[in-house]
Amino acid sequence: MNLNDIEVNSITKRFEDTVAVDNLSMNVARGELFGLLGPNGAGKSTLTKMLCGMINPTSGTINVGEYNIQDNPMKVKELLGVVPQDIVLYDYMNARENLAFFGKLYGLSGGKLKNRIEELLKFTQLDEKAVKRHISTYSGGMKRRVNIAAALLHEPQVILLDEPTAGLDPKNKLALWEIIRTLHKEGKTIMLTTHMMDEAEELCNQVAIMDKGKIIALGSPRQLIRKVKMENTITVVPDKITSKLIEAVQKISGVKSSYRAYDEDEKIETLKIITKKAEDILPDVVSAISSVGTKILSVELSRVTLEDVFISLTGRSLREEEEQL
Amino acid sequence: MKLKRTIHQVFAIAKTDFLGIARNRTAIFFTLLFPLFFLIIIGFTFGTQGTGETSRIRVGTVNLDGIAIDVNGTVSQNGTIGDAFVQALKDANFTVYEYSEYGDKDTDGTAAYDISRGEIKVAVVIPANFTEALSFQYTDSPGMQIPTKARLDLYTDPSDPTGSIIAQQSILGFISAFIEYYQGIVINQIPDAQMRDYAKVLADPITVSTSEADVSGRPLRWIDYMVPGTLGLVLLWSGLNHASVAIATERTKGTFQRMIIAPVSPITVLAGKFISCLAIVYVSAVIMLASGILIFQVNLYWNIPTIVLSIFLGALSAIGLGLIISSLAKNEEAANSIAVLISVPLQFFIGAFFPLSIMPEVAQIFGEALPFTKLVNAMQNIMTKDLPFEAIMPEIIYMTISGLILFTVGIIAYRLSLKRL
Repeated sequence: MNLNDIEVNSITKRFEDTVAVDNLSMNVARGELFGLLGPNGAGKSTLTKMLCGMINPTSGTINVGEYNIQDNPMKVKELLGVVPQDIVLYDYMNARENLAFFGKLYGLSGGKLKNRIEELLKFTQLDEKAVKRHISTYSGGMKRRVNIAAALLHEPQVILLDEPTAGLDPKNKLALWEIIRTLHKEGKTIMLTTHMMDEAEELCNQVAIMDKGKIIALGSPRQLIRKVKMENTITVVPDKITSKLIEAVQKISGVKSSYRAYDEDEKIETLKIITKKAEDILPDVVSAISSVGTKILSVELSRVTLEDVFISLTGRSLREEEEQL
Repeated sequence: MKLKRTIHQVFAIAKTDFLGIARNRTAIFFTLLFPLFFLIIIGFTFGTQGTGETSRIRVGTVNLDGIAIDVNGTVSQNGTIGDAFVQALKDANFTVYEYSEYGDKDTDGTAAYDISRGEIKVAVVIPANFTEALSFQYTDSPGMQIPTKARLDLYTDPSDPTGSIIAQQSILGFISAFIEYYQGIVINQIPDAQMRDYAKVLADPITVSTSEADVSGRPLRWIDYMVPGTLGLVLLWSGLNHASVAIATERTKGTFQRMIIAPVSPITVLAGKFISCLAIVYVSAVIMLASGILIFQVNLYWNIPTIVLSIFLGALSAIGLGLIISSLAKNEEAANSIAVLISVPLQFFIGAFFPLSIMPEVAQIFGEALPFTKLVNAMQNIMTKDLPFEAIMPEIIYMTISGLILFTVGIIAYRLSLKRL
């Protein structure tokens, strides 16, 4: 019996001169919540498109369940539930009509389709009034829940979630995380693509970090953090971040690296200092910052995140990557 | 089982696509009602359009001059001026077709038959005594000599009112000039000056009778011809325009990609879209025809199977062309712009409102090459003239071939577009 629901073997995808996915191999075990991480342009979307049969690989093979996607694309599609990043619903139809349409595409009909729609409408937590309204009148969170429900109609074993919380406010983001956890508890195999490291760290029990079409790290979030042998991060919020400041901090003995980062929640720029001995060097950090005439607004010691792992592996922050794109 | 599932999928896609129009007021207007709006506006705005170029006017002549008649007790068989009249028409650059009899709309080879099929716009019947009348021969009458009178009969095509008026006016002008010329010759030969003046005043040997040819078998008005013609507009506005955005919109919104990642083949998606486009064309056609009946009380013949078949064949071309646009366009907006850019000018070349006969030759050739023009011709022939199915076989064959070609190219473009997902 095959214990992997997804097997990717030496997959390469070229677009003319560009190699989007470069000889990539990975497995996703049954029941796993697998996170595929990486900045925009890392090749995540191309890999996802190949996994769901939208495009064919230039070379290599992909198996989903017991089927090879090139040989049995329809069988693979029946096993997969794909939740696209954008809200892909017909805004001139209501939730029930949308679910009925996507259910029919998966071969559901009659009582079975009706029952499944009612089950999923409960899952979306829409009241009867909302169900009758056109999708165009829904809030972002409501649309997102129907968007997920549309992928679950045929009770797929494997669910691909593409940036499921992109653009959501913190409250809706947490609600969606709860839905993903529920699906995982039901035994579904979930592959989540995201560029939000905190999301992967919070939800996934296995993570692959992609960069330039390759997997550069694979393991559980804890394993990855341990692998790069980093223990702590000092996060400083100064009144301004200058290159002179970064240079001064970099000179402190025991500092592995320091970089400018952006706190999405607080909407502020921070200075991250990676070190093995945070408490020991903290006084030196404070005096170095003061020496260049910068005021410290706050200081925080935190553990290493997957974002730090990415930086350690590539020498670049995810934010830098996004700015370049 | 698999077939049943595919049929389910096709109709689900078609229904969803159709709802997209039915629940969007702007789309309802532009896709379904715009041709009707256009019919009303154009009908009131444009009456007749003129042209001075006679070569575009196809004239049929039935030259009976030369047939033996009795003039002043003797048999006259002179056809000189009748022949000269036909030759002068040709010299004046009219496109002249010669017939031996006027006949009727059901007798092949006659002028009436060709008028009913739009081959000629006007027929002139030259009477047997044309030469005698114009050469001032006299009938034998007790007490006084009476000049022989002749009557030219002019028949026009009522199914093309604008084109017929233009043709009629041109021919009447020509006849007037021709008669004046020949009268001049004869009058100038009269030696006595007083008699010459007298002849100038009294001589009026030719009258012209103008009537519409019987092409229908029942009295028809201008609007009766216009309503079937608007079915060509339906193809452009409802068929081409909707098909152009059908795939492009789904691709822009991502719903196309979502359909493709479901166990649905691209051809199933295409079949669903085709059915939806076809349904929109038929709904629009029904609206047009029903409006014709209810608003304008049109008086038409209803050969339903032929009408349904003709619309289907015309729709093949419209949807095929739309599919090509939809597949090649980058997004919905681009597809929409291309469709409008094509359909708006084309509507003036399909003969729905403006007869092709008034257009320059190049425009006529272009217009005649359009499958939508063939539908207009076929519908006008079937619905206003009650011609049998065989009479529109050339149009049917043309629409079938162009439909198959455009639809096949559309499928190829669609398949290529799948690589851009």
